[in-house]
Amino acid sequence: MTSTILKTTGLNVVYPTPTGQFKAVNDVDLELRSGEIVGLIGESGSGKTSLALGLLALARHPGKVSGHIDFQGRDLLSLDNDELREIRGRSIGLITQKPRQSLNPFQNVGTQIGRVYRAHVKASKSEANDHAIELLENVGINDAPRRIRAYPHELSGGMAQRALISMALSAQPELLVADEPTSGLDVTIQAQFLDRMWQRAEETGTAVLLVTQDLGIVANYCDRVLVIENGKLVEDAPTRDFFANPRDAYSKRVLALAGERAVADTADAGVSTAEPLLRIENLRKTFKLDDGKILSAVSDVSLTVMQGQSLGLVGESGSGKTTVGRLILRLLDADEGSIWFRDTELTSMKTRAFRDFRSKIQVVFQDPFDSLNPRWSVEKAISEPIDLHMKMSKDEKRLRITELLGQVGLPESIRTVKPAGLSAGQQQRVCLARALSTNPDFLVLDEPTSALPPVARVEMIALLKDLRERLGLSFIFISHDLSTVRELCQDVAVMYLSQIVEMGPTSKVFAHPEHPYTQALLDSVLFHDPLSRRVDREHRGALVGEIPSPVDLPKGCYLAGRCPFAEEKCRQEPQLLEFTEPGHLVRCWKAVGGVLNVVDTEA
Amino acid sequence: MTIPQAPPVEGEHPLENLANEKLKTKRWFHDPLLVVGIVIVGVAIFLAAFGEAIAPYDPTVPVGPPSVPPSGQYWFGTDTSGLDVFSRVISAPRIDVTLAVSAALLSGIFGTLIGLMAGFYRGVFSSLVMRISDVLQAFPVFILAMVLVALSGRNLTNLIFALTFLYTPIFIRLTRAEVLTQRERSYVEAARAAGNSDFKIALKHVLPNSLTPSLIQLSVTVGFGILLTAGLSFVGAGVRPPNPEWGLMIANSAPQLVLGEWWTSLFPGIAVSLTVVGFAALSNAIERRVATS
Repeated sequence: MTSTILKTTGLNVVYPTPTGQFKAVNDVDLELRSGEIVGLIGESGSGKTSLALGLLALARHPGKVSGHIDFQGRDLLSLDNDELREIRGRSIGLITQKPRQSLNPFQNVGTQIGRVYRAHVKASKSEANDHAIELLENVGINDAPRRIRAYPHELSGGMAQRALISMALSAQPELLVADEPTSGLDVTIQAQFLDRMWQRAEETGTAVLLVTQDLGIVANYCDRVLVIENGKLVEDAPTRDFFANPRDAYSKRVLALAGERAVADTADAGVSTAEPLLRIENLRKTFKLDDGKILSAVSDVSLTVMQGQSLGLVGESGSGKTTVGRLILRLLDADEGSIWFRDTELTSMKTRAFRDFRSKIQVVFQDPFDSLNPRWSVEKAISEPIDLHMKMSKDEKRLRITELLGQVGLPESIRTVKPAGLSAGQQQRVCLARALSTNPDFLVLDEPTSALPPVARVEMIALLKDLRERLGLSFIFISHDLSTVRELCQDVAVMYLSQIVEMGPTSKVFAHPEHPYTQALLDSVLFHDPLSRRVDREHRGALVGEIPSPVDLPKGCYLAGRCPFAEEKCRQEPQLLEFTEPGHLVRCWKAVGGVLNVVDTEA
Repeated sequence: MTIPQAPPVEGEHPLENLANEKLKTKRWFHDPLLVVGIVIVGVAIFLAAFGEAIAPYDPTVPVGPPSVPPSGQYWFGTDTSGLDVFSRVISAPRIDVTLAVSAALLSGIFGTLIGLMAGFYRGVFSSLVMRISDVLQAFPVFILAMVLVALSGRNLTNLIFALTFLYTPIFIRLTRAEVLTQRERSYVEAARAAGNSDFKIALKHVLPNSLTPSLIQLSVTVGFGILLTAGLSFVGAGVRPPNPEWGLMIANSAPQLVLGEWWTSLFPGIAVSLTVVGFAALSNAIERRVATS
């Protein structure tokens, strides 16, 4: 039943340049079969997107597509525009990156989905509307009849992405081309989305080409892997073979890096003779919105980081984890609660006094390029905190910068380079060097790895691990990437809608997650192992929908609306953070009372 | 354990490289707009400094018979008072260009600094500044300039002051808009987390990254300044005769046009137009460079 849907021979995508022709896609032969999900991986700039668009006989201006694309017996490149338009959208659906930019801001999503449908199928407006509602319900959007009237800016990223897939699927195409459809989405949403897509391919025999940089996605959802390098297809193998025995050098490198992570043991809890370094008590922060409503970003958060230890703070976007980091740094002022750093209380310190104190607590932000002054060289960026807090002679400072560059693994020659001349990984290393320059006691790492390409991310984690061991750094690591937290942090706190819902030693929380939210988060993790696929796992307790807005919080458990175990008591009574065993706190009466049957996730 | 090394500085996305290459091959001087701008602005500035010195005659005293058409002796002819038009046209930049450049620079400096503060400290101060700017910009520039000059008296300093006052709101607005976007970027937070005071953050980090729009505006403002100076003189609210000034020359000789004495108003008219176009072209070309790189 696996018939060939699309076959290319000698496909080229060429961009003219002043110095000659640049071949973004170079002589590619590939075949896509019905019901098959094919992963296309490669470094950024390798031609992934050009190839994906090329399959629809599209190229970004001023590129040209040439060769043969045989789609169900027709050569796409010999068709005229009208015929091509008929095929695009109807027979081949496309999902691009950046969902919100791909939607028309002037039309509500229902109209947009309906238009694609009506362009290819004879239907009245109201039929198209019904069809749009059905499609949105199919991709797991609650309250679809109301949602189709929403404009793109009223949707979250996850929601927009699902509207986009509805659009791509609306005319029931035989082939779906998805270009990094989940980059930038939360893990739970990503899992929901990919599950749908996988189901769809199973049920209707749609062929899917999935462009991605994430090996976890490939391992879990793809039947076959294509690797592209400098525009050439260098590997085409079934997923299991690819992971077991990659042939190409790039594949080997990527898999080796991924393997290194898998083997690395979980961060050890260590002997806790350590003193508490940072202690947060009952921290609360609300924002007043323009319409007078109150948004609770952080409510009643208490946590402790021991000297030399690291705490992972995880949660979906919108959970308030970044706000906690900013409160510690006093980039925001808390409404209530206290932050003790050794014996100093930070929230009551005068701004001026705290300025000198800042040398002890430093930060690395998520977006490395954005967090460097574009006009300043690496040397200038790193020396700024030194100039502010330490008295050093010119020679001392030069030596110190050399030392710092060495610590973060950057060459000496990089000193005079401006941020625009660095790769994202290098930029983030510069940010790290800047944070380390004053010998801080504590670091706030706010998703320092999530804006990096996969290889740079793995290297950054290794670097952080190494620095933690060599410098005895203590830090709080804010992230939505659970596997990174597992590697780096001894303790973990899971946040949901401004609250901590579960906290404890990483080894315990990951082995025996007790809160339904933690369970769902862990369930969404995609392991780099085609033998333990998420789709094969029996996943229970999947959350529905996405994180609600932190305005007008429910009076009972905040998760009740999405939790598969919720009952009346959950909706009525606020939940308390209570011990289930020494050191392990959970905010769920069912879990604490043992009513929730706990299933161990596989290690 | 060895420290993991960052990969060597790799090329960016090939398509971006492509765009960069395009820019590199297209040298600065391949842009005709830029060449025109630089030549005209260069000549204007040169004449502002040396125009009077290289003029064949004294531009403020009669040097021959009145109303002589252009000839070998008087290239652009003479006016009704017997002043040499060519000498006056090339001496005028000393007033027009100097005045416009100083006003543009002053309003650029004031506007940028006020805009920086208005963008950095949102609140009462910011609103107040913006409302005042609104009011100033709502007035027709020309009328307001006349009023200001009339109130303060007709001399060069007051003219510069009036022009500066009029053009400052543009720079406030441009800088504030840019500051509002820059201050939300992480590097500003990073600077605060490093222990900088607000003052240092504004001056060291935000200001240098918010200057581009103002720098582009500067050249246009010089052009407008010249036009306004000439206009004010034309209606008698600007420079006093017999100082060589383009607007004044056109005003004095406009009545003679009907008598067929075209040269006395045509040449200063061309000079004003060319200069304004030159400054506008320069600013346009710079803007294009900045936008593409």
